[in-house]
Amino acid sequence: MVDVKKGETLVVVGTRKGLFLFHSRDRKRWSSRGPYFEGNEIRHAILDPSDGKTVYAAATSEHWGPIVARTKDFGGKWTTPHEGPRFSKESGISVTRIWQLQTAEDGGLYAGVEPAGLFRSEDRGESWASDDALNYNSGREKWEPGGGGLCLHTILPYPGDSRRMLVGISAAGIFATNDAGSSWRMYDAGIRYYGKQKLFEKEDLATCVHKMVRDAKDPSIVYQQNHAGMYRRTRGDGAWKIVEKGLPVSKSSGGTFGFPLAAHPHDGQSAYAIPLVGDYNRVMPDGAMAVYRTTNGGKQWLKRTKGLPQSGAWFTVLREGLRTDSNDPAGVYAGTTTGQLYHSRDDGESWHLMADHLPPIQSVETGIVGTS
Amino acid sequence: MQESRDVPKGGAEVQVYVPYPLREFTRGVATVDLRANDLAEAINEMNRRYPGLAYRILDDQGGLRRFVNVFVNDESVSHRAPREVPLHPGDEVTILPSVAGG
Repeated sequence: MVDVKKGETLVVVGTRKGLFLFHSRDRKRWSSRGPYFEGNEIRHAILDPSDGKTVYAAATSEHWGPIVARTKDFGGKWTTPHEGPRFSKESGISVTRIWQLQTAEDGGLYAGVEPAGLFRSEDRGESWASDDALNYNSGREKWEPGGGGLCLHTILPYPGDSRRMLVGISAAGIFATNDAGSSWRMYDAGIRYYGKQKLFEKEDLATCVHKMVRDAKDPSIVYQQNHAGMYRRTRGDGAWKIVEKGLPVSKSSGGTFGFPLAAHPHDGQSAYAIPLVGDYNRVMPDGAMAVYRTTNGGKQWLKRTKGLPQSGAWFTVLREGLRTDSNDPAGVYAGTTTGQLYHSRDDGESWHLMADHLPPIQSVETGIVGTS
Repeated sequence: MQESRDVPKGGAEVQVYVPYPLREFTRGVATVDLRANDLAEAINEMNRRYPGLAYRILDDQGGLRRFVNVFVNDESVSHRAPREVPLHPGDEVTILPSVAGG
């Protein structure tokens, strides 16, 4: 019997050991379902916003490979395709992990994989087509892996125009398409060199994007958490602009270091970040957890700690570990690598422990349960 | 649990052991009797009977996945191309996950 009801807020939590679903009508009392995919790592899982019912899970078995499974009844029954995305025989490479799932407005489903590649499914994950222009890009041999491997971890479609999209690859950089993936160009100018104040003057390889999100009101505005700083770029800008006022700065990279980034669901110019000490020590600064919010497009970031642990918090929030929901006021959710899920019901001003003792949290996604 | 259906004609008659985590694909079957001339044929036949099984064993290049071990009788063939592993009548093929992960 499925106890998930229409209109409830659903929080989809991917962990190192399975998938968990949390649902609530008032965001005060939560019910949970799972774990699903025993022993599998769920690097990312999403609720399809087009129906509010289908949950896609990128499940990776270290032994048996990655697959994108789906359920239409919140885990009552899972459909597991016979295959996941695969590179061509000629490529000489094999998909080892799925890092990112993203639905498209035209009904497609994207998967970003490791080693870095982009695939699209037209049949809800049953079969996958490679974006050859990106996956077999002539410059691919110059793509260097980041600390987590060479992975395509961010897929950012443009609302209202399915031909346009940004993707982030660690540590090759940001790629942009205006023709639905038939061709790609770099989109990296303005990022600082690691540990220096010098900036990449050209759209070039080898900047290490960690996460990008679009502004809620103006999707042409993109915020980026990079290995070497926090940035913002608007269509027409010639380069990314550094937006770090109020954020901690890493001693190693020369800018704000961290992974997760989330946009407010309604308010323009508003985003959330969770910076870490630096790439040499990927934990909360001083062992105190803080979520930073900007409400003016990055001109200023404000530190929020109410309800968050302020001592002994020697954990990380990974790149998919921070999300907002679409309620008003917005919910904000942060999952840690030590298995705590924190949430806020007031735009991130105050926080509560929503779940504890989960496996290390890999991803957090939200949605409103629908019936279509 | 052992599968009892007739084996197809052609190739050596061998028995394949399926580890616990893969039995969700074989409907609980632990050993499968089939005919195959080499390991690639054996995996193909397994996949014909249990669609999706080959994807779990083979990578995109057709080699064994990194943490999948296969033994023919007592010999490890994990680092060989499946097409280059001949099978003979009475061989026991054992598929095992590596002792890895946590």
